[in-house]
Amino acid sequence: MRSFDYLEPGSVEEACGLLRQHRGEARVYAGGAHLTILMKQGLYRPRVLVNIKKIAGLREIRFDAESGLVIGALVTHREIETSAVVRRHFPVLAEAEREVANIRVRNVGTVGGNLASGEPLTDLSQIFIALEGRVEIAGPGGMRAIPVEELFVDFYQTSLQEDEILTKVVLPPPPARSGVCYVRFSSSSVVDKPSVGVAVRIRLQADRDACADARVVLGCVGPVPSRARGAEALLAGKEFSQELAERAGEAASRECSPVGDLRGSEEYKRAMVRTLVRRAAAKAWEQALGAA
Amino acid sequence: MKKTIAVKVNGIERSAEVEPRTTLLELVRERFSLTGAKLGCDIQVCGACTVLLDGKAVSACSVLAVDADGGELLTIEGLAGEGGLHPLQRAFMEHGALQCGYCTPGFILTAKALLDEQPRPTDQEIRDYLAGNFCRCGCYREILQAVRSAAGR
Ligand SMILES: Cc1cc2nc3c(=O)[nH]c(=O)nc-3n(C[C@@H](O)[C@@H](O)[C@H](O)COP(=O)(O)OP(=O)(O)OC[C@H]3O[C@@H](n4cnc5c(N)ncnc54)[C@H](O)[C@@H]3O)c2cc1C
Ligand code: FES
Ligand code: FES
Repeated sequence: MRSFDYLEPGSVEEACGLLRQHRGEARVYAGGAHLTILMKQGLYRPRVLVNIKKIAGLREIRFDAESGLVIGALVTHREIETSAVVRRHFPVLAEAEREVANIRVRNVGTVGGNLASGEPLTDLSQIFIALEGRVEIAGPGGMRAIPVEELFVDFYQTSLQEDEILTKVVLPPPPARSGVCYVRFSSSSVVDKPSVGVAVRIRLQADRDACADARVVLGCVGPVPSRARGAEALLAGKEFSQELAERAGEAASRECSPVGDLRGSEEYKRAMVRTLVRRAAAKAWEQALGAA
Repeated sequence: MKKTIAVKVNGIERSAEVEPRTTLLELVRERFSLTGAKLGCDIQVCGACTVLLDGKAVSACSVLAVDADGGELLTIEGLAGEGGLHPLQRAFMEHGALQCGYCTPGFILTAKALLDEQPRPTDQEIRDYLAGNFCRCGCYREILQAVRSAAGR
């Protein structure tokens, strides 16, 4: 690893100031699960590392009926997995976390780093988008908030500016009569990064007979996590049937752009998208039927 | 640019002046001569480098030494106490849960973190928790038995 200067700001303002001062040469360091590997491999060669872990106030997990679930950028995968608050209000997240990487990565890897890395083979972004999540971002000019889907630009590229820090993720309280399901699949070992990850949220109409609207979010099968709008349109306004779920899966499998690699060929991943969307849609629907 | 860090290593306060690029694995092996933690994959996959930082299993290969500043580190060398081997160490011997031993410090420390959190894990919980540690000699069945028996099951 190449040498670098190491800074430990005590506040978000100070951190953004340092990032601005060393623009183009600095990187934010959180858990390092992504960063240290790329630095050892020489793919990232920052001259300055800005460790944000000493900043207070970025570690909260809290829920209230108005804002929903707030997850600070420094919250680790393991903290989400074991949080009673998360389990109570968004069990889908706690469940998904059990399958993220291995215990050591979960102990250090943070939510902020998971999103800000722009790495396509990850799990949380799909779920956050299905849940209409927003991220809050601090910069020298103040705060801004954007939907999670607007964070991603391309492979390993996000819309974060060089002097900005992602401070939290906010998931609004789930709407009435809604259900959400995430299914991820690792094609090599259980602790490998996902080959395909699909999140579906279904919201039912007041009579619970038909779907009001749906979110179908595909991860790992394109440069950025993306919504399968065709599949979503197919589900909206319809009554549930296995055939409908199958058709939504088929539509989604045509709406992604997977690349063949060690985790499966392009055809294989499309077939997985089809199957996982079908399963996730059926489960989300069932959950929505039983939801308040 | 160097930074002085203070770390409690296996119960003893120590300090070191390190370059920020020093990994935790380099710190324990090269500065503190604790060579139980091994370098394997170098990308957080295999678990051969596992140490416990503030009670949590981490990959020493991919965590910076500066992250341990002010913290407590446990390596395999610190596990045996006055009374001899730790129950997990004894169980690994009794069940033949190692051949070459390269993965063993990582497995035992990860299992310790598990038992500290959850003294009576089910087989599934043991498997899930240890899934990120690889044993190339393939002692998985014996490792499961050893952890089970150390948990008093
Ligand atoms: C072996 C292995 C398996 C993995 N498996 C999975 C998996 O199954 N699912 C999954 O989702 N992920 C997986 N990951 C990815 C894992 O790196 C992330 O999930 C982790 O959360 C990254 O967080 P971090 O805090 O360690 O990020 P870091 O490595 O510290 O940072 C990552 C990037 O984000 C930037 N950054 C970090 N925090 C912020 C912030 N608050 N604001 C702005 N920029 C920031 C950094 O500058 C860097 O560019 C895996 C990683 C490894 C090594
Ligand atoms: S050497 Fe660190 S996890 Fe393999
Ligand atoms: S005993 Fe040889 S790698 Fe596990």
